[in-house]
Amino acid sequence: MRDFLQILLVGIGDGAVYAMLGLGLVVIYRSTGLLNFAQGEMAMFSTFIVWTMWSLGLPMWLAILGGMAGGFCVGALVHQVAVRPVGDPHEKPLAVVIVTIGLFLGLNGAAQLIWGTLDRSMPPLFGRGQVTVFGVAVAWQKIGAVIVLGVMVLLFYLLFQHTKLGLAMRAVASNSESASLVGIPVPRLLMLGWGLAAAVGTVAGVFIAPNLGLGTNLMQLTLIFGFAAITLGGFDSLVGAVVGGFVVGALSSVMPRYITIFEKMPLAPAFILILAVLLFRPEGLFGKKQVTRV
Amino acid sequence: MSSAGDGVSSAGDGVSSAGDGVSSAGDGVSSAGHLLEVKTLGAGYGIVEVLFGVDLVVDPGEVVVVLGANGAGKTTTLRAISGMIAATGQVKFLGESVLGRRPDQLAKRGIAHVPQGRGTVTALTVEENLRIGAYVRSDDQIESDIQQWFEAFPRLGERKDQLAGSMSGGEQQMLAIARALMSRPKLLLLDEPSLGLAPLVTHEVFDRLREISASTGTAVLLVEQNANLALEFAARAYVLEAGRIVLSGNSADLQGDAAIQKAYLGV
Amino acid sequence: MSATATTGASAHRSPGDWALKVAPWVVLFVILAIVPFQFPSFRVEQFCFWMTLAIAACGLNLLTGYNGQISVGHGALFGIGAYTTGILITEFGVPLFGATVASAVLCFATGILIGLPALRIKGLYLALVTLAVATLFPLLLEQFSAITGGSGGLQITSPQLYRGEMRERPIRLESPVAGLENDQWKYFVFLGITVVIFILSRNLIKSRVGRSLVAVRDNEVAAESSGIPVSQVKIVTFGLSAAIAGIGGSLFALDQGQLYPSSFTIVLSIYILVAVVVGGAASIIGPAIGAVFYGLFSDVIVQQMPDRIQPARAVILGVLLILLMLLAPGGIVGGFRTLQAKWSARRSSALNSGPDPIV
Ligand SMILES: Nc1ncnc2c1ncn2[C@@H]1O[C@H](COP(=O)(O)OP(=O)(O)OP(=O)(O)O)[C@@H](O)[C@H]1O
Ligand SMILES: [Mg+2]
Repeated sequence: MRDFLQILLVGIGDGAVYAMLGLGLVVIYRSTGLLNFAQGEMAMFSTFIVWTMWSLGLPMWLAILGGMAGGFCVGALVHQVAVRPVGDPHEKPLAVVIVTIGLFLGLNGAAQLIWGTLDRSMPPLFGRGQVTVFGVAVAWQKIGAVIVLGVMVLLFYLLFQHTKLGLAMRAVASNSESASLVGIPVPRLLMLGWGLAAAVGTVAGVFIAPNLGLGTNLMQLTLIFGFAAITLGGFDSLVGAVVGGFVVGALSSVMPRYITIFEKMPLAPAFILILAVLLFRPEGLFGKKQVTRV
Repeated sequence: MSSAGDGVSSAGDGVSSAGDGVSSAGDGVSSAGHLLEVKTLGAGYGIVEVLFGVDLVVDPGEVVVVLGANGAGKTTTLRAISGMIAATGQVKFLGESVLGRRPDQLAKRGIAHVPQGRGTVTALTVEENLRIGAYVRSDDQIESDIQQWFEAFPRLGERKDQLAGSMSGGEQQMLAIARALMSRPKLLLLDEPSLGLAPLVTHEVFDRLREISASTGTAVLLVEQNANLALEFAARAYVLEAGRIVLSGNSADLQGDAAIQKAYLGV
Repeated sequence: MSATATTGASAHRSPGDWALKVAPWVVLFVILAIVPFQFPSFRVEQFCFWMTLAIAACGLNLLTGYNGQISVGHGALFGIGAYTTGILITEFGVPLFGATVASAVLCFATGILIGLPALRIKGLYLALVTLAVATLFPLLLEQFSAITGGSGGLQITSPQLYRGEMRERPIRLESPVAGLENDQWKYFVFLGITVVIFILSRNLIKSRVGRSLVAVRDNEVAAESSGIPVSQVKIVTFGLSAAIAGIGGSLFALDQGQLYPSSFTIVLSIYILVAVVVGGAASIIGPAIGAVFYGLFSDVIVQQMPDRIQPARAVILGVLLILLMLLAPGGIVGGFRTLQAKWSARRSSALNSGPDPIV
């Protein structure tokens, strides 16, 4: 039992990070209706920016802010030059998928060019200490991840539900034509959405890097976990991303431990989850049913 | 098309023989006085040309209707004016050339456009739709305006927290109009507001529009299939056929002329 | 697309036109026939690999280009074909041809399985599921290392007569023709299979079935109401597409003689997709052109670059992909068609001096 709890808590700690990545995906989906396959690479890239600033001697928190700002710029730029010119993801899904794949390749290669192929090490943000609760040891880093996630969700909730800007972003996602007719500068808001998503990804990267080592394939598996999280929670739901992240984290931690067939593929439960949800409840747990008119 | 030449008037200069000249576009009133002035407007979709030189004007506070058969290019005209599609020719709003501007830039200048059909933001609630309508405003009367709409259309008030997408077609149409007016526009472009509305509700909507237009001085450029209703509501009318204005004049004159009724209005 | 179709149909079939149509193909076949004699062995080996890629892309094109279902997971199907072939030959002594057929059948079944969810999910979501499949596949190979050899790799061997006795030896395609090296023989075998597959898919596309594929892609509701069994069409297309990818994988196994999970990562899936869109989705020959371009890029151009900037290969490819989608979403073939349509429109307007016909 203690063993189980231990594994579960580890999973939930991981889940917080999946949720962070999921938040970024939700933000982009909400503002553009697009699944961004390059989200993980954007996060990896900006995590390298954090690492660079930190290794130049900046304090960690400042480096993270810098990385988020850098990520924001990368995301906004990528949207302006590559994503927007292609057109509507609902009308031309193939072209948009190809562009995000192009971004995936481009960002990954660029990171290799700049930072090389060796893994870098980054210290855990909340140190290596741990506390023991009910006989179960929990790393501060995991607790920190949950708290940071909570703060991020709160900020996003306030943005989307209680500010004019957030309302405008939601309007753009739902009906960009009407949004533009009421005076919303649609292209600028989309750019902002991409920037925000990339900035959020930075935080996820900062939490993952100490575990996996900071390399250019930092996010490739993690991204699938993030997708699993938002598929379960619903592509457009912030709360869903969080709940989904925790569930996915817990499943991927617990199942391989007890079911030998998953031993080497913690990804498998996540995959099965994606498939099952899309088949039986495509809108996810918290997502809104798509109102489509023919 | 050839019928444009016979009888009443030639394209573009009003029913000058019947009216007293108030409406005749292009002469008399100086161009600075027009709220909206459209000249030789051309537009289309890809290689398909739809408009071939549309001329029309709307003066401040005026209610003008564009009539025409299905596919004549009415919707395209409105879309070209509000910047939703690329166009050629000249579009002047408040004396400034606005051709080539994005819809949101025009919204800031005071043009609100209720597109044909699905004009609401379906993923927002009714109240949020109204609030987003006031996006270009920054005064402190937004809340009270929202309340006024809820009073004017109680059905909207009852459903203020419901998603717009889950409202009936007619309710959405009302919401779309209310949302457009939330921006307190100088010019409202309305594309077939009666579409999907019950006749009684249509009258209600038009009455309300007339009231608002009169009290706030909002000019309205209306596209409508229901010619009789529209002519009652509007002071002047243009008839569009195959992408050209073939007729224009005072509503009363158009209403009274049996030949016109027959030829253009399908009555 | 319709532009070439209409001009082709309405063109008068004069002998001159006919020759004009056939000549490029004759030239192409002559080039393909002399190529293996003009290049060193390692290049011929590379050409063989390009052909396996072209076959997989041809399969993906049926699905994505003609049927509108996006798959970012065809590398996994390619891998299933490869491993099935390898295991059947090594463990069960199945003959090469039998192993390839079995791989196609198994991939068909797998494709149907993946295609089932595709009935309910579309576009980006399908891409997501197939992306997950592609990411999962190499892990699966490691998980079942008992039969796949895991990261240690799978050596494909068959009993062969060696110095007078039967021994398990690495498979190879022995040239039965005097004067033809083994790699040249392999080249022609692969070329034959590739050509047959492309001709078969061309016939499929031109048939009624092919038209229903496109109808489903363009508008499912309309297709349904005109009596096309949309679900069946989508599922069977997925199966067929997977089977073709599987054949490509099977040839890849014969080509390489050894298989490693690291060859079948998401990157492979991306390359297959790249071959399709670079050549031109929804054109028959497009995937082959795309595969050749990809091959030229990664095996020839990139090799010329200094080691230090090798990662630039991914950057270049990524940037090229994005530029392609912005400038010529129809790929090479699509861009060519646009030019052709413009040219023929100009020519006909010059001849008739009338208005351009609306295409
Ligand atoms: N998005 C589009 N793409 C291509 N052609 C279009 C598009 N929208 C409209 N058209 C064409 O433009 C012409 C004019 O269309 P428009 O919508 O302006 O007509 P309308 O006068 O508003 O008709 P209705 O009364 O039916 O609304 C039609 O022939 C139509 O086929
Ligand atoms: Mg219309």
